[in-house]
Amino acid sequence: MRFGEIELQHLGFIHHLAISQRRLRSFLSNFTMADVEVVDPKKCLEESCKPKCVKPLLEYQACVKRVQGDESGHKHCTGQYFDYWQCVDKCVGPKLFAELK
Amino acid sequence: MWTLVLLVAFALLGAGVTGLLSFSTVASADEAEHGLACPDYPWPHDGILSSYDHASIRRGHQVYQQVCASCHSMSLISYRDLVGVAYTEEEAKAMAAEIEVVDGPNDEGEMFTRPGKLSDRLPQPYANESAARFANGGAYPPDLSLITKARHNGQNYVFALLTGYRDPPAGISIREGLHYNPYFPGGAIAMPKMLNDEAVEYEDGVPATEAQMGKDVVSFLSWAAEPEMEERKLMGFKWIFLLSLALLQAAYYRRLKWSVLKSRKLVLDVVN
Repeated sequence: MRFGEIELQHLGFIHHLAISQRRLRSFLSNFTMADVEVVDPKKCLEESCKPKCVKPLLEYQACVKRVQGDESGHKHCTGQYFDYWQCVDKCVGPKLFAELK
Repeated sequence: MWTLVLLVAFALLGAGVTGLLSFSTVASADEAEHGLACPDYPWPHDGILSSYDHASIRRGHQVYQQVCASCHSMSLISYRDLVGVAYTEEEAKAMAAEIEVVDGPNDEGEMFTRPGKLSDRLPQPYANESAARFANGGAYPPDLSLITKARHNGQNYVFALLTGYRDPPAGISIREGLHYNPYFPGGAIAMPKMLNDEAVEYEDGVPATEAQMGKDVVSFLSWAAEPEMEERKLMGFKWIFLLSLALLQAAYYRRLKWSVLKSRKLVLDVVN
């Protein structure tokens, strides 16, 4: 089939359109990637897991209040702190890697 | 004789009691002593037939090189080990050529420096342990070549440690020069928090969040400690399959040979 002049012009136009579309997309992606703030997914998940671990969190906060008045320097809340973070870790652990590449 | 038996019995009882007493003092020790137990993360290479994520190993090596290599050596890994795992031969050669290595003696009997080759080990940040301790306030940054095998639940522990820097609980104060990390036994670690968002720019464009860098560097360290893992899993699968066929064959053969004896009949009869 012989391409006439008009058909050739049409093909050229479509070819140009394709190129400019590609350029536009890559330009936009550069723009949006630079704009997006990286948020650490682990911190995000730890925040979202806080409601599940309210009980140990309240225990820890109660301990903090008890320790605040302490002058001897021997009192600390490691136990409650560990209980809380163990709960958060158990919640975050299975979900975290789904957010990462 | 009976007094001897009684004496021995009392001695054993005494030993048992002191043993129990020592157990009870250990149990009442601070739970920070063992560190917070780390959770189990679902590593992509955990499955019985799963391989490493090699893109992750490549990124992890970049993190190691830019963040960790200033203090931690990996003296058991050579540049050639990276070829085919994380880099092409040309890339690895180019990386090796960036370092200076002491070689020699030459024909004149002198040591000289030359650019690195594939066969050279990864460079060490300090000449020896004393230099390392001196530069880090008395603490020795351990060599990372086998770290995921050298710590209990190594992969999960290292990831939890690197991403687990937090404020200490109320009542705990850490001295100047140390940092609080609940996963570290005792809670006070000399290494500061090294992984911060966007500390590294990945060449494949993956966003370098703290968790991402942690995952990648632990993938790299897992590979470094167990480079044979993929081959081992393939071999394991192959041999377990073949040996189970052999087991079936052996079972059949045994029952075939024993069938003669197992199917014999003994008849008790009177002699007339």
